[in-house]
Amino acid sequence: MPKEIYLVKVGMSMTEGMVSEWYIPDGGAVKKGELVYALETEKVNLDVDAEADGIVKHLVEPGVMLAPGDVVGYIYLDGESVPEGPLVGGAAESPAENAEAEAEPVAAAPAQPQPVVATINPAEPSGDGRLKSSPAARRLASEIGVDITRLAGSGPGGRIIERDVEAARGQSASSASVVPMKQAENIHASPLARRIAAERGVNLAAVRGSGPGGRIIQADVEAASSQRGSNVSGAAPSSDSGAQRYLPGQSIPLKGMRRTIAQRMHESLKETAQLSMDMAATMDDAVKLRTQLVKEWEGIAKPTFTDLVIRAVAKALREHPQMNSQFQTDAIELMQEVHVGLAVAVPEGLLVPVIRHADQLTLQEIAIESARLANAAREGTLGLDDFAGGTFTVSALGMFGVNSFTPIINRPQSGILGVNQIYDGLAWDGDTPVKTKQMNLSLTWDHRVLDGAPAAEFLATVVELLSEPYRLLV
Amino acid sequence: MKEFDCVIIGGGPGGYAAAIRAAQEGLSVALVEKEALGGTCLNWGCIPTKSLLHAADVLRQTRDAEALGVSIKGVDIDLAQMVKQSRDAANQLSNGIAGLMRKHKITVFKETAEILGVGQVGLSESGELLADAIVIATGATPRKLPHIDCESDRIWSAREAMTPQFLPKRLLIVGAGAIGVEFASLYSALGTKVTLIEAAANVLPAEDEEISTLAKAALSEEGIEIHTNTPLDALSGKKQLQAEFAGQTKRFDACIMSVGVTANVEELGLDRVGLMLERGFLEVDCHQQTSVPGIYAIGDVAGVPCLAHKATHEAIVVAEVIAGKNPAPLHSERIPGCTYSSPQVASIGLREQDAGERNIRVGRFPFYANGKAVASHAGEGLIKTIFDADTGALLGAHMIGEGVTELIQGFAIAITLETTEQELMETVFPHPTLSEAMHESVLQAFGRPIHL
Repeated sequence: MPKEIYLVKVGMSMTEGMVSEWYIPDGGAVKKGELVYALETEKVNLDVDAEADGIVKHLVEPGVMLAPGDVVGYIYLDGESVPEGPLVGGAAESPAENAEAEAEPVAAAPAQPQPVVATINPAEPSGDGRLKSSPAARRLASEIGVDITRLAGSGPGGRIIERDVEAARGQSASSASVVPMKQAENIHASPLARRIAAERGVNLAAVRGSGPGGRIIQADVEAASSQRGSNVSGAAPSSDSGAQRYLPGQSIPLKGMRRTIAQRMHESLKETAQLSMDMAATMDDAVKLRTQLVKEWEGIAKPTFTDLVIRAVAKALREHPQMNSQFQTDAIELMQEVHVGLAVAVPEGLLVPVIRHADQLTLQEIAIESARLANAAREGTLGLDDFAGGTFTVSALGMFGVNSFTPIINRPQSGILGVNQIYDGLAWDGDTPVKTKQMNLSLTWDHRVLDGAPAAEFLATVVELLSEPYRLLV
Repeated sequence: MKEFDCVIIGGGPGGYAAAIRAAQEGLSVALVEKEALGGTCLNWGCIPTKSLLHAADVLRQTRDAEALGVSIKGVDIDLAQMVKQSRDAANQLSNGIAGLMRKHKITVFKETAEILGVGQVGLSESGELLADAIVIATGATPRKLPHIDCESDRIWSAREAMTPQFLPKRLLIVGAGAIGVEFASLYSALGTKVTLIEAAANVLPAEDEEISTLAKAALSEEGIEIHTNTPLDALSGKKQLQAEFAGQTKRFDACIMSVGVTANVEELGLDRVGLMLERGFLEVDCHQQTSVPGIYAIGDVAGVPCLAHKATHEAIVVAEVIAGKNPAPLHSERIPGCTYSSPQVASIGLREQDAGERNIRVGRFPFYANGKAVASHAGEGLIKTIFDADTGALLGAHMIGEGVTELIQGFAIAITLETTEQELMETVFPHPTLSEAMHESVLQAFGRPIHL
């Protein structure tokens, strides 16, 4: 039977999209895993690969706006007849759901910057909130460390079967794009664990399950809830690592997000010429401003110091386009747009969702968006579009009392800014020492792209903006 | 010298299960068993006694059949046939284990073994084996009372009690644990006047007090004379036994000693590797590893509760550990226990008397309010459930009545899956079954039973 090619849904917020290019011509042969079409949405461009071997039939022309889940074509075998329109009934009972089961976006198109950690599309749960999967698939997934809630199912009704897990293993080995993140509604937890979590306000998405197949059991929730008290919660998007339990002698398998981070970070250090510098900003006015804004925007947004930094960075990047760039083999590409990534610690590791067009957003809009992203990151509900397209990254460790560090560039970007704690420093008023609020900013940049002087100029602009924070409001 | 990944000493429900699971994981396995495969459980415990107790149940039913409108005259007992049938069952199953050993290409040595050192096992006839892992699964033997030195072939342990040459008229059973109570129930049904004495305050002292009390009443009603808080002071005689307890001397034709077990570790060579017993048993961690790396222990030899299913579960754990996996350890509070007397008793988890300060809710549902129990003359019974009042976790279940040994697994699954009262309430139980009493007990714990 011909297999539908769907317009893939790549994020919660995606409402429409189009085939921007067919990679396989109408009537052309395709092998499973080969790129079939380029998807373009408001936010991202992605390549979509074939789910089966066969001959491609186009149903839509490039450039036609469609809804996610619409059938854009078919893959059929020689001798099979192909409908001229989308199939009704039968296997395609719910195209929007099956869309994700039938096609997988591969890593973002080359022209687009890569997120630190990508994710493949999650399978939608069925109506009753259960993720359909076979026991064999679940067993295999647990054995090889694939998070089944992130897989697309190819079995009847989108059910995840062993083959899908196998495929994910291949993919995770080749592109390291499978990220174990729990979808809130797909959390595998015992009823008792759920109830205790609800009573104690424990976020199950952040709890690692120790039961069969990674099931979260009572003991896991109790451990998470007893450790939570000691968690640091800072002004910036904070770490919620309370659920993680590391024991001496334990061997932590290098898989999933850990593996991705390891590869990306090491590659970054290998491939670039990165170095760091610190500069102190006087934060007295910024502290006052933030206090006022928190009060004034109560119920709307709660700006953090990191939000102020993101706003300052976005403005500074406009003035210093060299820092907003990508190093490529024979050219340095200065990016058109300013999309600032925000490193968020999650129990499994680190995610870098992106605040898009940060330079065009007001401080309040940045505060709202960064809070949404940090929250979604911790709850595991980030869409693929939330990761795409970052041109510069901000990483905050100030809430841990850090004063200086050397963040690692999130390739292919050219710079990353570390946000440190605010501390009581000294300034001189004539010969009199004055107590003042200070914060170091730690910039790592790629020396292949720009030299120390322009990098320092960029950092000085950020520092200036933070020292005169009212400029951040305009 | 032969080499194996894993050498298992003892072929009971622990040892043979460990052998099979290890073989499934691709390990080369040797199993050493000095007697019959299947161990005490299969040959001298669970299985043959179930055969005898089934005969006793049939006997009881034929006697009670008249009330149902079935008149059976001339009911008679053929003790030899009963015993033969029980031996046949044991032999059939033991042969089955031998077949399973062949199927999994497990090398079986029918001899005794001792540990020569870490990774070295000496056999009584076949020389020495080298093993990456040694599993001690030697089981346990009925304990003897130290102050009773009377020698008589009328003093039986379980093994003699399940192969009687004659039916004693007056039988003394010392110890009212599961084994003592089962034999009391068996011999009482066969017409023997049974006296059951127990040093603890209750019969079935491991059970919930309320259930123990009901069991005592039901057994007394069967005609069994029960003395609790009563140790055996003295025992003498040859063909006629004189027993002293509770300040009196009584005569008996036979006496069954069922006062617990001791681990089988004699001549195992534990001291060569520095293994010591703790309170009579080998101490193990949650992966069944003893204090000596590479030497594991499972089943009765590794401590209470001495139950076949506990041994089998530990066997799976140990085999997977040896195969390099990381299995979930056994939760001791999730091991059910069953007594196949009439009435049966089955339980799992927390007993009410152990709840202490814990905030619990207790549900009770009697068989007299259960349709199936009434229709099938199941007699009296009670299903008791204990929940954590704060979280709704099912903490324990305790049952007495006909057929409850087949019911308890439902609550075992529930506890293992960490269900709360809500899922249990939402579960549809088939009608008419005894299992509905389980449902009603849950409902009763939360004040909403239908049939009470």
